[in-house]
Amino acid sequence: MTSPFRKKIKEALADKNLQDALDLNAERRLTAIKAAYASLPQDLQSVRKQAHEVREKVIENLGDYLEQFISNAQDNGIIVHKAESANQAVEKILDIVRRRNARVIAKSKSMVSEEIHINTALDEAGMKVVETDLGEFIIQLNRQPPSHIITPAVHLTRQEVGEIFERELNVPFTEDISELTAIARKELRRTFLEADVGISGVNFGVVEDGALCIVTNEGNGRMVTTLPETHIAVMGIERLVPTMADLACMLYLLPRSATGQKLTVYTTIIRKPRQAGDNDGPGECHLILVDNGRSKVRNSALRESLYCIRCGACLNACPVFQEIGGHAYVGVDGGPTTYPGPIGSVVSPGLFGLKQFGQLARASSLCGACRDACPVDIDLPKLLLRVRAGMGSPGDYDLGEISVGRASANAPPGIRLGIKIFSWMASSPGRFGIGQRFAKTAGRVFYPSSGWVSLPRFTGWGYSRDFPRPAEPFREQYLKKRAASIPLREPKPSGERESAEALPPREQPPLRQGSELPVQRFERELTALGGSVIRCDSKNIGKNILAVLELNKSSWIQAWDRDKFPDGLLEELNNSGIRVQTEPDPDIKVGLTAASAGIAETGTLAISRGLGCPQTASLLPEIHIAVLNQGDIYESLTDVLNLAELRESSYVTLISGPSRTADIQMTLTIGVHGPAKVIVICFN
Amino acid sequence: MPDKVQLFATCIIDTLYPEIGFYVIDVLERAGVEVEFPPEQTCCGQPAFNAGLRHLSRPIAEHFIKTFENTDGPIVAPSGSCTAMVKHGYRELFAGDEAWFSRAEGIAGRIYELSEFLVDYLGVTELEAHFPARIAYHPSCHLLRDLGVNSQPRTLLEAVAGAELCELPYANECCGFGGVFSAEHPEVSTAMLDRKIRNIEESEAEVVVTCDAGCMTHINGGLHRRREGLRAVHIARILASRPGAEELFG
Repeated sequence: MTSPFRKKIKEALADKNLQDALDLNAERRLTAIKAAYASLPQDLQSVRKQAHEVREKVIENLGDYLEQFISNAQDNGIIVHKAESANQAVEKILDIVRRRNARVIAKSKSMVSEEIHINTALDEAGMKVVETDLGEFIIQLNRQPPSHIITPAVHLTRQEVGEIFERELNVPFTEDISELTAIARKELRRTFLEADVGISGVNFGVVEDGALCIVTNEGNGRMVTTLPETHIAVMGIERLVPTMADLACMLYLLPRSATGQKLTVYTTIIRKPRQAGDNDGPGECHLILVDNGRSKVRNSALRESLYCIRCGACLNACPVFQEIGGHAYVGVDGGPTTYPGPIGSVVSPGLFGLKQFGQLARASSLCGACRDACPVDIDLPKLLLRVRAGMGSPGDYDLGEISVGRASANAPPGIRLGIKIFSWMASSPGRFGIGQRFAKTAGRVFYPSSGWVSLPRFTGWGYSRDFPRPAEPFREQYLKKRAASIPLREPKPSGERESAEALPPREQPPLRQGSELPVQRFERELTALGGSVIRCDSKNIGKNILAVLELNKSSWIQAWDRDKFPDGLLEELNNSGIRVQTEPDPDIKVGLTAASAGIAETGTLAISRGLGCPQTASLLPEIHIAVLNQGDIYESLTDVLNLAELRESSYVTLISGPSRTADIQMTLTIGVHGPAKVIVICFN
Repeated sequence: MPDKVQLFATCIIDTLYPEIGFYVIDVLERAGVEVEFPPEQTCCGQPAFNAGLRHLSRPIAEHFIKTFENTDGPIVAPSGSCTAMVKHGYRELFAGDEAWFSRAEGIAGRIYELSEFLVDYLGVTELEAHFPARIAYHPSCHLLRDLGVNSQPRTLLEAVAGAELCELPYANECCGFGGVFSAEHPEVSTAMLDRKIRNIEESEAEVVVTCDAGCMTHINGGLHRRREGLRAVHIARILASRPGAEELFG
């Protein structure tokens, strides 16, 4: 009589590969995240508090913010579609791709697109849709849903991935992770170049600018939002932040909580489709705003779950998730849910039905590790308890319903009966005493020779644990005798109340104390990420570029227009025999751009799309050389996000090092879809 | 004139571990307070609340409030989870009912977990306890995360003569009890318990000390079923110990 959920749990517990994979995930993630939090410029708790307040403000005033956001996005030329249900969202997307006569659709990672099951719909409509995030690509080939919000293929070993590639892509078997990544890169490069439509998710919509922010590491997110003629962005209505400063706050937390990075390799801000002067980019940019139950959740006792920024930190912290993995989280009828783990155990019942998914909230020991891990400080245990009490229906936001729990709680019958008896007894001291005496007698009768009771398996507890036999209750003994008295002690001064987790000591913040120059910090950060920085005088820029080209045996480059660089630079390169063009070419190995700005604290370049500034130059070739004026290096992310020049651009990417992934067995590989080498010529 | 405190024994200690109730009184008296025990007390209502059966938790919680309302002084409970229920859980339970909510808040402001009470309220860390053994501390989840209490039990244990404190690997991981969770999801609960027991074994501690009888019951219950030696002990037992005290498990 085991439910599908319990069956899947048992399967997961018995699956050695899965167990190893989950242990590895937890280990690596938690170490990386702790270190990343230590690097926050401000105290973690105050940033979390700020982030919580930002999201709370948004959700409280969601209607108004949405209206403003839509209006600003439309002013930017983004075509906005509101979809109340998953079906409506699918219809609108199908409509767009049909009008385009799309044959190939390239997708970058989007959980909400999984939620609406867009891939199935596109398949049925006869279109080829290819997941381009490495983890999603793998599970698509394996015909499985993702098992984690951030690392969809975390449940697979590299051997399994090798087998999947061999089977589905007709390549010789390899379990070497860099080889596997190279296979995926080659396969997907074709997809990027031939795709008619790119579908992406959105991490944050910025209300004041009407802009979309997408964070990625591999470069596929940039590909699908740059190369195809049509871009469709799919976004849950709750994923808004009011201002660019609020975006900065979120960006301090999201990458750190998700993958332990200070910033993902690519942080892209999309304002407009291709403008008259832009060299590349989609001619049409659509935004599908998906409700699919979010308004209902907002009106329910589970409202706070909408603050979630989908970082996956709670999954990585959860001891239950660590034992069972994402695929075990199924509904009463055995069907999967898009969202597993602690947050999933609240949003799945909230969005997709309490009856189906309420049971997930009961598979928790309420240890609170999720709440501690959450960058937005969502009180997940409180919400899980509300789901157990049957709360989470639209209208029950006001908690005044005392009768809640009678019919709507999802406690199984055995527990209900047991608790009913216990409650009857524990609400009166007389009955409680009788109950205790009864338990003591029953214990003596059934287990006379042992101080321990072995309950039968059906009790759940009895599955693997014994139980001490009830003795004469404390209250009875107390009332019969007194405890011995002991002399007084001198009270000592009280100690500090400590917070639950001790964090490692904070990294030195050199900038604010003026002991390290921005350019030095920039160099240090980018080098740590695998990029390189060459500092020189402005007259030596050309010489240094030529040296890099020589080293990499390259004499043909894609570059921005000459007026984007210091005077005479491109001429100098030409004169030395370098072939320079603005258009991309698959055989070009080096791209040369200028950077509008740099961020010291994360080693980041700001690369803006515009007239004479193709995004492809910093995206398609293996090597990206960027020319950056030392004076344009700012201290922090917040400074750069607010730069007027960047806020006017139709498309900006903040680049922090070479492209990377750890989607296969949590092992880092550098160089996926975006450039594998990033070299910054920093001049003064 | 010593402070007067009200002891909340908790239903599990009252029923299964009465000796711990006496250890707690002993410890508190040694720390210089007078202990009263309102005998009508039963339970804080957490099991029903955690099961989602709030209407069954209410009568128990109301009885708790009524029991302690007519008493004076701090309420001390040898349990992190019960303390957390009264301090935080009652806010959820009585939300929307103004009268009961404010009565609950009155009680919530008075309740402390034992180690928190000793160190933070009384400023007492030295109890002249004597327990020569290698001990490790298991931080129970509600105590650690709900109440933010972690250094206090450790401080108390460090002062125990003869005790050699060692670190439990992955100490902050849940033992898998979770109340009704252990009965509803025995497989996962057991997997988590297995992990905790492995970590206890790796620490080579003879005794693992906890402030919550729920964790203690879970750990010992599992060890007993495997026919292995019991290891988990409530902190009150350690703090109440003196030279020549009786055998721990017998």
